[in-house]
Amino acid sequence: MRLWLYYFKHAFESILGNRLIYFISTGTISISLLLFAAFVLISANFNNWAKSWEKSLSLSVYLENGTDAQEKDEIAKAIERVDGAEIKAFISKEKALKDLAETLGSQVGLLEGLTKNPLPASYEVIFRNRELSREELKNIKKSLEKVKGVDEVQYSEQWLERIEGFIYFSRILGLIVGGLLCLAVLFIVTNTIKLAIYARREEIEICKLVGATDWFVKIPFLLEGAIQGIFGALIALSVLFFSYSMFRVRTIQLFGLPVMDVTFLNAGQYVLVVFLGLTLGLLGSFVAIGRFFKF
Amino acid sequence: MIQLFRVSKYFGVIAALKDATIRIRKGEFVFVTGPSGAGKTTLLRLMFGAEKPTEGQILINGINLGRVGGSRLDFLRRQIGFVFQDFKLLHRRTVLQNVALASEVGGEKWTTTRKKTHQLLRAVGLTAKEHAYPLELSGGEQQRVAIARAMVNDPLILLADEPTGNLDPEITRDIMILFRSINLRGTTVVVATHNKELLRNTDQRVLFLQNGMIHE
Ligand SMILES: Nc1ncnc2c1ncn2[C@@H]1O[C@H](COP(=O)(O)OP(=O)(O)OP(=O)(O)O)[C@@H](O)[C@H]1O
Ligand SMILES: [Mg+2]
Repeated sequence: MRLWLYYFKHAFESILGNRLIYFISTGTISISLLLFAAFVLISANFNNWAKSWEKSLSLSVYLENGTDAQEKDEIAKAIERVDGAEIKAFISKEKALKDLAETLGSQVGLLEGLTKNPLPASYEVIFRNRELSREELKNIKKSLEKVKGVDEVQYSEQWLERIEGFIYFSRILGLIVGGLLCLAVLFIVTNTIKLAIYARREEIEICKLVGATDWFVKIPFLLEGAIQGIFGALIALSVLFFSYSMFRVRTIQLFGLPVMDVTFLNAGQYVLVVFLGLTLGLLGSFVAIGRFFKF
Repeated sequence: MIQLFRVSKYFGVIAALKDATIRIRKGEFVFVTGPSGAGKTTLLRLMFGAEKPTEGQILINGINLGRVGGSRLDFLRRQIGFVFQDFKLLHRRTVLQNVALASEVGGEKWTTTRKKTHQLLRAVGLTAKEHAYPLELSGGEQQRVAIARAMVNDPLILLADEPTGNLDPEITRDIMILFRSINLRGTTVVVATHNKELLRNTDQRVLFLQNGMIHE
């Protein structure tokens, strides 16, 4: 306990005594972690966005011709029994035809020859607060198709595939870029700390000469690394938060895709960045000092 | 306490020490003398494990220096006080902290460290400068800090390399009395010096070094 007090005291004293070097290395850590945190922020937002696509997934439940009002209600009830499902709209045969006519535009003449309406009525179903796997969708489709009066249940397989592909891709890319960033940060931090230690090699040598154990010499350096890492992380988060506050746009809409909500890091991500700073600082000084002790 | 058996130390082709066999008993007070470059510092550094012999064996308090390393060597060093010819003080720490360091590395209780530190600073006459930094001190004052640090642990062995090189005759006498008193309490003392004055009226054992060769 008393020894730890000693370690902390000397760690702080040496940070104060070597202000310039520590300023530079803490700055380096901050900038590196800022890059990392910004990356986490952007990828987290993209991920949320991609998930909101999944929520925009809709299901069409087509009714058989000649379904009566009671059957229609039964179907609606069956749909609402599915967890998270919500009926967005009922599209009658007439409405379906009108919609089709609108989409056809100038080619509306194609419909003129029809004697009876060929389009089925349908329920448009969306899912709230629920992510669906392809398997679950298949099961929902099967069970709804068993309900009397339901002709067919359709969802866009392609749409789903594209969403899943995008999420998968962004995760892989996130892992690669995040991993590379971590390595780069570790490399930079190790080298800055190595410089700081190199500047004090005489001190280390003297401590060894008066019989200090390796750990006695190393622990203050490790603490210094940890302190720098935590400070660097806090600075990075503050700068990022400040920039986020300046950046006033909170929603982005691109190419008619679902709206992207821009949110800041959550508590878990804060902790992640601070923890990463701590780990990098510790690991950086550990590697740096380990190399030094071999000389 | 200290045994060298056929020890040689070469720096490239230069032989700093040649085929030295020395035996120093517990509680002895020994001077090592000889011209500059004779190998005095090398001999003391070998006894301290700061230099590895090219040939031969060194035993300190029954421990073979060639066979220990790491924490055992650290432990041994805490029992040996060394006054370096170039002092080796920490420039970022005060006089007090420099002397206390040698005690702190052994995990000594804080109160003991403080007591011993003050006691030794008084003995070398530096109480007034305890909060100064080494670079604010004269050469002789820095040397006395180095001496105080070497003695703060009540070492089994005190190795002093030219400990009075920067001191006036008055203080030199005080320091020699200090060495004699720690010697009387059982510490084995080895002092390297080319100060003929120190050797003039002494009945202590003297080792002469010339071109790395030992003559009693
Ligand atoms: N690290 C080293 N590298 C190369 N040569 C060395 C080294 N240390 C000592 N020497 C050489 O070994 C010889 C003995 O040096 P040493 O320092 O032991 O002499 P000394 O008796 O202490 O001299 P002085 O009285 O000037 O302190 C010298 O010739 C010196 O050049
Ligand atoms: Mg010398």
